[in-house]
Amino acid sequence: MKKKVIAMLLAGGQGSRLYALTQNVAKPSVPFGGKYRIIDFPLSNCANSGIDTVGVLTQYRPLQLNSYIGNGQPWDMDVADGGVYILPPYQSAGEKGSWFSGTANAIYQNIGFIDTYDPDDVVVLSGDHIYKMDYADMLREHIEKDAACTISVLEVTLEEATRFGIMNVGENGYINEFEEKPAHPKSTLASMGIYIFNWKKLREYLIADEADPNSSKDFGKNIIPNMLNAGEKMWPYHFQGYWRDVGTITSLWDANMDMLSTTLINLYDPEWPISARSPISPPHYAGENSKIVHSIVTEGCEIYGHVENSVLSPDVLVGEGAEVLYSVLMPGVVIEEGAKVEYAIVGENTIIRKGAHVGAAPDGSDGWGVATCGPDIEIREGATVAANAMIYKSEEV
Amino acid sequence: MKDFHGIIFAYSTAPELRELVSVRTSASLPFCGRYRLIDFSLSSMRNAGILDVGVIMQRDYQSLLNHLAGGKPWDMSRRSGGMQILPPFGLPEYHRGNYAGTMEALNAVSSYIKDINAKYVVLMLGNICANIDLTEPMKQHVASGAEITAICAKGNPDGCRIAYAVDAEGYVSEMLIDTEAEEGELASLEAYIINKETLLKMMNFALKRNLYRFHNDSMRIWLNNGGKMATYVHDGYTSIIRTVEAYNKASMDMLDKDKRHCLFAADRPVFTKTKEEVSTYYSVEAVSRNSLVADNCIIEGSVENSIVFSGCRIGKGAKLRNCVVMRNCIISEGCELEHVIVDKDCVFSEDCKLTGNAKLPVVVPKASKL
Repeated sequence: MKKKVIAMLLAGGQGSRLYALTQNVAKPSVPFGGKYRIIDFPLSNCANSGIDTVGVLTQYRPLQLNSYIGNGQPWDMDVADGGVYILPPYQSAGEKGSWFSGTANAIYQNIGFIDTYDPDDVVVLSGDHIYKMDYADMLREHIEKDAACTISVLEVTLEEATRFGIMNVGENGYINEFEEKPAHPKSTLASMGIYIFNWKKLREYLIADEADPNSSKDFGKNIIPNMLNAGEKMWPYHFQGYWRDVGTITSLWDANMDMLSTTLINLYDPEWPISARSPISPPHYAGENSKIVHSIVTEGCEIYGHVENSVLSPDVLVGEGAEVLYSVLMPGVVIEEGAKVEYAIVGENTIIRKGAHVGAAPDGSDGWGVATCGPDIEIREGATVAANAMIYKSEEV
Repeated sequence: MKDFHGIIFAYSTAPELRELVSVRTSASLPFCGRYRLIDFSLSSMRNAGILDVGVIMQRDYQSLLNHLAGGKPWDMSRRSGGMQILPPFGLPEYHRGNYAGTMEALNAVSSYIKDINAKYVVLMLGNICANIDLTEPMKQHVASGAEITAICAKGNPDGCRIAYAVDAEGYVSEMLIDTEAEEGELASLEAYIINKETLLKMMNFALKRNLYRFHNDSMRIWLNNGGKMATYVHDGYTSIIRTVEAYNKASMDMLDKDKRHCLFAADRPVFTKTKEEVSTYYSVEAVSRNSLVADNCIIEGSVENSIVFSGCRIGKGAKLRNCVVMRNCIISEGCELEHVIVDKDCVFSEDCKLTGNAKLPVVVPKASKL
């Protein structure tokens, strides 16, 4: 079946800088913003952009991601001639088989999958960004500009530019130079890691790159520079709006706090819903003595204590007299009576016992940071978890 | 579990539900923030492995059809079997009023019932609010060899109107109609496990004699002729919703932790059609006490002893006390509502005040603009 466009979503990353939260799950399936997991954002963007065929490239700890995506029904991708496909590394006859050795290699190994749809263009996405974007609009520009590759770019500050892949644009508006994390950036247009490629062209470059033993098989390091050097037409698609990379504990916490503001990113917009596979729990209950202020709360929660400036996922219990301040509680977390959690991220199904104290308010010191408790652990009664601490196992405290 | 087939009666529109059923059947009445009443009978069946279910409906079923979504939420969208929607079919012209009783409703879909492959049929009301573990009475029914097993409750749950006097072995000795169960009697939940052959015989008997009522006619005659009916006692929260008062009481009951956890048991989840929705946001000024609030609401006012469905906006300074506010309502700044049941899609402009009474809550019909 011929498709005009399909999407390939890179979801194989470990997310090693999220440490305790990604011990057992891939970064894209880390819970986010109350009802979601990170991957819901690119998947919903695909669905809302009219892309109904998505290959999800998985590698690191894919079990939870596989069961979460399932048949793609929450994103209306349970369709007859397309849908969402989990694409793990595989072995072929007579070969040893290999892991995906880079982002470009991951796509290279799935050329066969893409060819079955014979698409004109392929959208390549990352599974770890929080944003709302109409890929259809980007595709229109890509076709209009007759580009071999269109790269979505965001205006950043000169200071930030040193941390990104930076595009320099010529007089005709096309990209003429690409610098990865430049010390002295010449422009402030940062790549968002969102690409649309002409499939015929990309296919050639992937095959050529695979044959190069010195290549690290990466889009940013190899494919994009190779295409530029060969004089391909590369177009920058200027994106305006909310976009966050949630690769670190601090950026994950920051982006969660952003969900408390509808002006940064409006999740209440019925025209662009972000969909998720949700549990079916009763509405949340706010107890007689509860106090919920400037926070988001969702189904299955039972709140008896005080919740302020926080993001609560489904089925969270906050006991009588407990305090939750400036924190992110993932699904199934239990905060027992009298416990205090502040400036913290608490992983799925973790229990904070009575009177325990997790995290601390910023004190201006260099060592301060958001405290993190991994999933499925227990912080014992009366224990203290310091600011910036990272707890993997119950025995640590 | 193909030995059992489910039938749910979703055709009734109890007049005592007033404005709440002017645009829907009792079975599709929204309940507890995100559910519809029929979710309870469907989920009870689903959790007992009964996935072949006929839903009998007659009129005003648009909202019900929309909600049922082909049976998908209850895993009843199957390649073979699954949920079957049963509107009236092939009735003679003179017969096209409301169903006068359950036997008439069953006979109106008799071709469907004749084609049921299962040996036993589970009959339930679409407007019962109870999470019944059907696996026990199903086991008991097969083991006992009784033709009918009646699922009952002790005490007198709201809305029960049939009582059974029971002999020492647990079989029904007498059926009492339009009454409360007295000491030693059981209240019928009007849920039955019945052998398919017995059901067909009763339907045929009723058809030939122009009898249309289930309890008053068919069941009474069957019992008088020596029919053996076993009983099973369901122990857990139960209310059959037939009046605004019962609806209001059951809604408020859900604010009680034990009752709520009993109805929404963790090991027997209540399934419903899901809509993609975002979390609820509480602003800096928000107050919420002893309340259930569904997703996708923005709460800037005060909500007390109330149930708020999804998609509602409660403006600054607005006060809700002892209210039920259904989906997508806007309660603007400064409104004060007490003992009010607000149906879907209503808009209250600024500073509206409306007060009912615990005994007589005010019902605001769907899509009212105040």
